[in-house]
Amino acid sequence: MGLLGFYLRKAYTLFKNQILVLPSRTAVLLFALALVCLPLFTRDPYLLRILIFTAIFAILAASWDLLSGFTGQMNFGHALFFGVGAYCTALLNLRLDFPPWISIPIGALGAVLTGLIVGIPCLRLRGTYLALTTLAFPIILMGVVFAIPDITGGELGISGIQRLSHSRVTDYYITTGLLLILGFVMWKITDSKTGILFHAIREDEVAVRASGINTTRYKLYAFCLSGFFAGIAGGLYAHIMRTAGPSTLEVALSFQIVIWAVFGGIVSIYGPVAGVFILYPLLEFLRILPKVRMLVFAFIVLLTLLYMPEGLIPWIRDHIEKECPRCKIRNVAFRKECRVCTARLD
Amino acid sequence: MAHGFLEVERLQKSFGGLRAINEVSFSMERTEMLGLIGPNGAGKTTLLRLITAVLRPDSGRVRFKGKNVVGRRTWDVVNQGIACTFQNMRPFRRLPIIANVMVSCLSPRAMKRGEWVKRVEAKAMDALEFAGISDMALEKASTLSQGDLKRLEVARAIATEPELLLLDEPFGGLSPAETDLMAQSIRRLHKGGRFGRLHSEGPAMIIVEHKLQQLMKIVDRIVVLDFGTVIADGVPDEVVQNEDVIKAYLGEGGI
Repeated sequence: MGLLGFYLRKAYTLFKNQILVLPSRTAVLLFALALVCLPLFTRDPYLLRILIFTAIFAILAASWDLLSGFTGQMNFGHALFFGVGAYCTALLNLRLDFPPWISIPIGALGAVLTGLIVGIPCLRLRGTYLALTTLAFPIILMGVVFAIPDITGGELGISGIQRLSHSRVTDYYITTGLLLILGFVMWKITDSKTGILFHAIREDEVAVRASGINTTRYKLYAFCLSGFFAGIAGGLYAHIMRTAGPSTLEVALSFQIVIWAVFGGIVSIYGPVAGVFILYPLLEFLRILPKVRMLVFAFIVLLTLLYMPEGLIPWIRDHIEKECPRCKIRNVAFRKECRVCTARLD
Repeated sequence: MAHGFLEVERLQKSFGGLRAINEVSFSMERTEMLGLIGPNGAGKTTLLRLITAVLRPDSGRVRFKGKNVVGRRTWDVVNQGIACTFQNMRPFRRLPIIANVMVSCLSPRAMKRGEWVKRVEAKAMDALEFAGISDMALEKASTLSQGDLKRLEVARAIATEPELLLLDEPFGGLSPAETDLMAQSIRRLHKGGRFGRLHSEGPAMIIVEHKLQQLMKIVDRIVVLDFGTVIADGVPDEVVQNEDVIKAYLGEGGI
């Protein structure tokens, strides 16, 4: 009994000192709790459906951040991975009768393969040229989809896919659960040693090479990892919509991803997730003003980026937390001295 | 046949119509400290770039420990044991200084040699300690002064534990006192040994430098380049007496 009490107290201390001490961490915890508890209060199918799509697109936007934000490989055709994931999952489910929990991971592997195929020609390009090249790939694939309607269903897409689960609440828990898990995994990747190399490649590729790092390999890693997470999002989307159509490859979707991520704040993983959770429901909410919906939406995005050029979330974070000038640990904004090294915070 | 440590044979490189390196040949021993001097635009930096395979020569060969370097990837060459610093410093500006060095510590060569170092950070910290900027380890690289950036470049290069170190103007932008300190660290590094968790092989060095007085004190041999060709090669005292060298620096009838 004493031992149990010891571990409970230890867990509580850790929780208090590691999570409650910073408002950003508390906010993430509250966000996760809110997502998990929401169906206990409302089972409104419309609201749940919006949140399901929000979660899927949040995975997608975070995976874009992994490739373009962290590694600096500007990808303007991220819908490619999403579309490949969706089509692969759909075909596997429809033709081979794979259940969702197999078809989605294998579909994501298809997207990884696409990441390799796209990544190899893109290795030599950077900046605007890379952005333009990546933009072309989903358009090419859309051409292929229209060219072989027997397999891909042409403009109508593939329909009649199995549902993800039998109830909307289960769907909701699967997608939000995956968002929380995959988001955590992506954040851990960017926090690891590989993450440091991704950062360094964005800053100066030649210097990374001169440090003895095989940059080709790490850039391909970034493409594949990003493709994997985007592919899972695509697979989920196919099973929720029960169709996989050419809309998953649209240029508009690629740009949506960029807008979400930049709005939330790139190079952070949590920024793009928050960006989707604000912008996607906002666009739905604006249906009350059908005529000026897109105008208002664009206006909000523009104003935000004008006054918070680094994105919404980093801006908020800088205002509720400050960095200790001595030990670089983050502290709540109202603290007078650093919680670790007791240096004065000004 | 025994191979030399580093052999450069009839190396040529042109940029457009400009012949930057023209039939350069020299070789060096494992224990040597080589100074590489010459007027501006003589091709010194280009020569270093060719040795580390950042640039590809038009013709000629570079052999390091008997293995060809030309046509290989930069990271392969670095992992074989050649490290270089950049003349115009290229730090990862938005990363903390310690992370800048950790990138080098994560290269296969450094990982293999420091397997007993579980924490890459610790080794990176010792490299910074050696270069003398460990007190600023957590600052962003963009906040560093020119002199400290030079030190960062050196720390990054030695973190791969090279056998041949190419330093491109290590004293550039340093005050006289800082220059002395840097010269001291270079000599210490050349002796080899262990600096905390960082192990020094006692690398051979090629140092490109304009501050000749300082350079003369630490190198045992000097190669002089002018218009992409070697015009003198020998011990420091001989080279400064050499007429061609005086002519190249001061012009025809300069004295």
